[in-house]
Amino acid sequence: MLVCGRALAGLAGLILSISDVGWCQGADSPEGILRHALQLHQAGDIAGAIAEYRAYLNQVPDNLMARSNLGAALARAGNYEDAIVEYHKALEQQPGNLPIRMNLALAYYKAGKISPAAGELEGVVAERPGERQPVLLLADCYLRLGEDRKAIDLLDPLQQQTPDDKAIDYMLGTALIRDGQSARGELLVDRILRDGDSAEAHLLMGESRLSAKDFADALEEFGKALAINPQLPSLNGYYGTALADTGDITGAEAAFRKELASDPNDYVANFQLGKLLEGDANYAESRRCFERALTVRPHDRAARYQLALLDLEAGQAEQARVALESLVRENPQDVDAHISLATAYYRLKRKPDGNKQRALVLELNAAKQAAAPAGMSK
Amino acid sequence: MRPALLALFLVPVVAAGSGDSACAACHAQETAHFRPTPMAQALLLVENCEILKAHPDMQFQEGPYHTQIKREGDRSIITVTSGVESFSVPILYALGQGKAGQTYVFQHDGAIYESRASFYNETGGLDLTIGDQGTTPHTIVEAAGRRTGPAEAANCFGCHSHGAVAGGILHLESVVPGVGCQSCHVQAEKHAAAVRAGNVATAKMAHLADLAAEETLELCGQCHRTWAQIAQTGMHGPNTVRFQPYRLTNSKCYDVEDQRIRCTTCHDPHGQINTNLASYDAKCTACHSTALHTEVCSVAKDNCVTCHMPKIDLPGAHHKFTDHQIRIVKAGEPYPN
Repeated sequence: MLVCGRALAGLAGLILSISDVGWCQGADSPEGILRHALQLHQAGDIAGAIAEYRAYLNQVPDNLMARSNLGAALARAGNYEDAIVEYHKALEQQPGNLPIRMNLALAYYKAGKISPAAGELEGVVAERPGERQPVLLLADCYLRLGEDRKAIDLLDPLQQQTPDDKAIDYMLGTALIRDGQSARGELLVDRILRDGDSAEAHLLMGESRLSAKDFADALEEFGKALAINPQLPSLNGYYGTALADTGDITGAEAAFRKELASDPNDYVANFQLGKLLEGDANYAESRRCFERALTVRPHDRAARYQLALLDLEAGQAEQARVALESLVRENPQDVDAHISLATAYYRLKRKPDGNKQRALVLELNAAKQAAAPAGMSK
Repeated sequence: MRPALLALFLVPVVAAGSGDSACAACHAQETAHFRPTPMAQALLLVENCEILKAHPDMQFQEGPYHTQIKREGDRSIITVTSGVESFSVPILYALGQGKAGQTYVFQHDGAIYESRASFYNETGGLDLTIGDQGTTPHTIVEAAGRRTGPAEAANCFGCHSHGAVAGGILHLESVVPGVGCQSCHVQAEKHAAAVRAGNVATAKMAHLADLAAEETLELCGQCHRTWAQIAQTGMHGPNTVRFQPYRLTNSKCYDVEDQRIRCTTCHDPHGQINTNLASYDAKCTACHSTALHTEVCSVAKDNCVTCHMPKIDLPGAHHKFTDHQIRIVKAGEPYPN
């Protein structure tokens, strides 16, 4: 979903420019150091600019704009974690500064910390609801977090205001299809296709087929999308999923790795590759994938459950117990979590607790069977 | 140590191996004892399959489709005809020794198929394969068999043979028929190599006889299905009778830590099933006895399993399976779980 990520990249930049700095002071004065920092920054010497900003801020720690520029330079150098720290310091001084908040959101986004990025963007969008780019980036965050309903609520009014905006059609279509509203989602796909064949439209059609468990058709759609634009964000993650579902494990792994090479924070590719590697007994790499998936979606139940299974596998029953107890607390109907929690308890020699979990599973399954329509029982 | 040990068991990977001959060099008695068992013969080559040899022409009619399994020399061919078209394919392997039944697999279009018709010992002929009940074939190939996905095919061969699955992928070229030593003793190859090298320290293997009930059931359940696997599917009713670890776990007397109630309490993993029901009494009285001041049966003193582990007639399976959910069976009560 770099559609909007790319468009917004220009926003993350200098807050303070050379014209804002006085020229009368000498080169060793704080102003001279700052001017030098700005010159280096604008000339592309990012490492030099960072050093000069830091030198200046040692002397004038309260200069909000210089601190923000330091954050921008750090972000440009790919050091998002330090950029986040600097932006936060700047916001402590001026919490309502929207450009800095936007830059902070982008730094979070680039660092793969989608949840706090969404939090910052919500603040920006609340202040400036009419600005398209923060809205699109927030919608993209929601999609990455799997919060499809929130994306729909955000994009629906915007789509009605600007019905010809293909980026909005694409993102809203994605959210609708993932939310199970395939018919409405496919209407938007048709609209995208009206302007000619597009990789985005085929990706969405593929996702729609995938959610209907029509794996062969999904594979065909993803194949068409790949033929048009093999670089389309998320495409290889979904293509790999369809390959795995149709039995091409080797191809699936290659597709997931391709996706992650261009976007290490793609949730689908991380999660699905984690599952493949787990099946292959490559537990260490599998864990890294699930952990990365969890960084993107910090509350994701599926990734947390898989990590708990890996803990069980590795003999870390206590760690697994903590995670599984939390999962069943959140959703007492989660049969799989109860089953694995029983195993964790048994391995911890907590037999009565394990027995309780098993009894619960039998109760839940019996209730499910009783609720199933006649003839549906296995 | 146990969790780490369990992790070794649960790795669903069977290393490429050359069968059990390496083990037999030192463990001749165990391997000789094991070879004639149904587990060791869970997959048979067509040329050696006694059932296919003894029944050279089997037929089965299902709606418009007529299935014939005909012997031709060392091969057996499945042919399905509908009056309009016909489909023929040689059987690749026979699954199961045939005490209850035997299903066949064949290859078509690069995929593994499970035959839609299986042999049943009770009837001495073909009938619908048990998992296919309630389904209708739409093509002549579907009438011959059900296409399995790569993961399912790997699972089938992972249990019915050894040496065939690596990294979750089936390698037909390295199939060794039947369950082998390393199917359970997953460190067998490493052990054999270390013994050959005279390296006693690394030759040590997990001692499976030390496992508690739950650990044993998890090990056997890799193929016979664990409680967790069945519970996850939500399956219930008589179909579950085929999954002994699941049934045993549901028994009131099952205790995860107690070695007196594990699979190997009654079944010798290297030997044949003991058909003398009275021989199991000692297993029950190891817990239920007046000497131990525990609950004892007020109805009978012997042949415990005939009442407490009833035979269940599974519709379509032409076989009565022993229910491993040990219980006091009351007349008219529904099948539990």
